[in-house]
Amino acid sequence: MTRTPKIIFGVLGGLVVLGAVAYFFVLPRFVPYVFHGSTIQSNQAAPSVELDGPNGSTVRLTDYEGKVVVLYFGYTFCPDVCPITLAKLDRAMDILGDKAEDVQVIMVSVDPERDTPEILEQYMAHFNPAFIGVTGDTNAIDRIATVYGVYYEAEEGSDATGYLVNHTATVMVVDKDGYLKLVLPFEGTAEEIAADLNFFLR
Amino acid sequence: MHSRKIAWWVGIPGVLLVLGVMAFAIFEPIQVLPRIRLSPGYLLADQQGESFTSEDVRGDIVLYTFRYSGCGEACEGIDQTMIDVHSRLGEVDMGDTDFRLVTISFDPATDTTEVLTTEADAFGADGVQWRFATGEEAHLANVVKAGFKVWYEEQGDGSFRFDPTLVLVDGWGVIRGEYEYQTLASDADKIIHHLDILTEEIRNANGAAGLAYEAAHLFLCYP
Repeated sequence: MTRTPKIIFGVLGGLVVLGAVAYFFVLPRFVPYVFHGSTIQSNQAAPSVELDGPNGSTVRLTDYEGKVVVLYFGYTFCPDVCPITLAKLDRAMDILGDKAEDVQVIMVSVDPERDTPEILEQYMAHFNPAFIGVTGDTNAIDRIATVYGVYYEAEEGSDATGYLVNHTATVMVVDKDGYLKLVLPFEGTAEEIAADLNFFLR
Repeated sequence: MHSRKIAWWVGIPGVLLVLGVMAFAIFEPIQVLPRIRLSPGYLLADQQGESFTSEDVRGDIVLYTFRYSGCGEACEGIDQTMIDVHSRLGEVDMGDTDFRLVTISFDPATDTTEVLTTEADAFGADGVQWRFATGEEAHLANVVKAGFKVWYEEQGDGSFRFDPTLVLVDGWGVIRGEYEYQTLASDADKIIHHLDILTEEIRNANGAAGLAYEAAHLFLCYP
């Protein structure tokens, strides 16, 4: 082989190696992670939450600094959207494995008339014993739901269900430092939720 | 000699990469609007007396403003901006995204459905693309003051002091622009320009273009 082809092959080989290194090791560090929901860039802490939790406790968002908090607004009589979402969140915890210990799922009831802390505790345990349900007076719930972008409204149901509550079905993620960072759509899968939560657990 | 060649082949792409990143940050070839915070959820009644909620406009870009029917001169600026934006929407290629204007009254005692209808008619608000709405006093305080962070206060004589403000919200319900009339020019030109930027981002949300837009958010490429 003459000197020129040797140089060409050498250069091409070098470029292939360089490209592979860049693709697998360098680019992933520069390519921004694309979330499955919408990110929030606020420099202010997430709106405060102080509501009634299990066993007479008061649950505050600040109690969970150092953990990623997943906030969801629903109710125990919810026929479909809430159980589906909570089941997906439970599956996401399974996917995260040990890392799930650094995640706290909290459901804020949009039906404070029927959802007592005891009923919420039993309901949430069906999905995951670590999940917490919180409630409070209607003014407190309205303030918190509103500032988290959640609409809710009671509507007539059947004799079996009683009244129903229409509500926003998004899931909010608060990072370990207490900043609201992400809004996930109802349509997101457990795998997508786990992937996005994993980003905040790095 | 051999090691110098390797240094060239490794060094040149590295330098180009760094220069590319620097050029992106300095020249901002893509501009984005910041994702400021969540806009509030709400349950209001519109000028037709129909229930109107934040879910009704999910997926749409919405420009909000806040006023009351008796505000007179204090509202002239933001009213004119809303009218101008409404009349100039043809200048923006919205693609498949719908655009709405919503005027929220924080004076529900005076601004009944009939008053809102009269006001809406005067502005050419059709009740579909441009809605006037109000709600219960306590809920309005949560929505306007706590959610949109727009201050207002009843003066005891039926008038209000308030910050004339316009707020631009994307389809995710995330606030992307806040235009305080007295501190930052909130003219229609600026809002139309921001609508252009926002719709461009929505059109390029997926694939490689989506990554470039996420990078623009990282580098704070704000107009």
